[in-house]
Amino acid sequence: MNTLTIIWIAIPLFIGFTIYLLPKIDRYLALVVAIVSAGYALQIFSHTSPLNLNLLDNFAVILVVDHLSGFFILTNAIVTAAVILYCWNLEKTAFFYTQLIILHGSVNSAFICADFISLYVALEVIGIAAFLLIAYPRSDRSIWVGLRYLFVSNTAMLFYLVGAILVYQAHHSFSFAGLKGSPPEAIALIFLGLLTKGGIFVSGLWLPLTHSESETPVSAMLSGVVVKAGVFPLVRCALMIEEIDPIIRLFGVGTALLGVGYAVFEKDSKRMLAFHTVSQLGFILAAPEVGGFYALTHGLVKSALFLIAGVLPSRNLKELKHQPIYTPIWIALVIASFSISGFPLLSGFGAKILTMKNILSWQAIGMNLAAFGTAISFAKFIFLPHDSQTGQGKVKPGFWPAMALLLGGLIIANVVYFQAYTVANTIKPLATIFLGWLAYFLIFQRSIIKFPRAIEQFEHLIGGMSLMLILIFWMVFP
Amino acid sequence: MLEAFIFATILIGFFGIVFKQNLVMKIISMDVMSTGVIAYYVLVASRKGLFTPILGNKENINYADPVPQAVILTAIVIGFSIQALMLVGVMKLAKNNPTLESSEIEKNNTP
Repeated sequence: MNTLTIIWIAIPLFIGFTIYLLPKIDRYLALVVAIVSAGYALQIFSHTSPLNLNLLDNFAVILVVDHLSGFFILTNAIVTAAVILYCWNLEKTAFFYTQLIILHGSVNSAFICADFISLYVALEVIGIAAFLLIAYPRSDRSIWVGLRYLFVSNTAMLFYLVGAILVYQAHHSFSFAGLKGSPPEAIALIFLGLLTKGGIFVSGLWLPLTHSESETPVSAMLSGVVVKAGVFPLVRCALMIEEIDPIIRLFGVGTALLGVGYAVFEKDSKRMLAFHTVSQLGFILAAPEVGGFYALTHGLVKSALFLIAGVLPSRNLKELKHQPIYTPIWIALVIASFSISGFPLLSGFGAKILTMKNILSWQAIGMNLAAFGTAISFAKFIFLPHDSQTGQGKVKPGFWPAMALLLGGLIIANVVYFQAYTVANTIKPLATIFLGWLAYFLIFQRSIIKFPRAIEQFEHLIGGMSLMLILIFWMVFP
Repeated sequence: MLEAFIFATILIGFFGIVFKQNLVMKIISMDVMSTGVIAYYVLVASRKGLFTPILGNKENINYADPVPQAVILTAIVIGFSIQALMLVGVMKLAKNNPTLESSEIEKNNTP
């Protein structure tokens, strides 16, 4: 198993560069990597005890592979495979596939490492690969969006590095476990880096613009897996060290409410999905024990939704109300929307129930409110007009295989928590969805409130980091 | 004392990113900030001593800790490559717009 892990980590980076040498078979090689990852993730689930790897004594690389990483790796594999299938006939160059696979590999390594320096390297490689993918169309806007992303993430990672050395100073090791007993400023600095990278709470407000302005397959990849690379270490730390657990849970609730609050009033479909990513990340953090399953569900749903949003006739929800969409696309959209609102028979239901079971009592109000907001905002999608004639030819050939993989994954993932199907459990989500639709028809359908975007400006994002630093420091100060 | 200077460097770099309007200046400020971080790693490594840990016939001298130095090498390389990437992006932007003011570029490129 140890050798297997090391081979599996090395394969994406190796094949990634091979793709560039053999551009004729780029898609096949890329798909092979995704399949290997999926196989490895399934392998993890067959082992009961977590696998610990200490490379090079105590100083350097510590890897931990357990079921939590298994869920995240599976998400990564399925989403990457779906994105590759979507791009199959889109004339992307070998460069695109190279970056995609390197991104896949670095996200994978972020999901198994348990020390701050490997995590730093993984996150920075993710930053570079994601920048190249965002800037792939080479238009002015895409370059600016990519630059902004790189700037924000790199500044956050510099703070993170200072935090990492403070942990080393206290324990002479970079391991995650060293966070316990480190000075509070170390925790504050490291958390600032991870929160910003993962798009949590106010420091995650770079996310909506970046995710909504990039290309369809790239936003699917970014929202589906890349942000989870920042969230996963937070979940891991919360599970390892109980002092940190309440802070993570608090950030979870705050993020869920913030994202949903924006999403309910948003009129642009892709921006709404991006804000929803913020809120769903909050759900993952709110119950760290079961965050893995939620991440799997959210990755599948969100990449499916972004791919669908790419084939809709318009991005503006107002215009979409007057343009009927092709019925099969509408059905896919409805399945995904139902799953994210927590409708039974889709794995979003099991994940929501599991999360709600594992939250503490003070979180309950906030999380229920967030679930209610989710139902409201996805009513916007469910009640769009549809028609079996128009827009038939517009769908790209790779779209349906990708959908089949993602939506099929949603249905199959139900088996993970099939105990959720009891009458008492089923009533609550149904009531939430029904109330959400009611609220949508009575109030939110007509609302024209627009939130100002000043807070999303580049300088405010960087400046906001210093405020977040003070806030986290104050939270962790004993 | 040295520590205070290093933190001052990091903060000056950070404020440079926020307050400088020119995109190239922002990137240079980021470099200043990362220089500060690297210096801090070197400082932490040299807390116990300044000698290089190389096998020799001297006994019992105070070695510098090699781990932070080894680790920060990675960060230097990554920081350098990110800067190269950003400068290329800025060059492309500057070619298409006759400005480097970040607020102008932001205004033109956000929906």
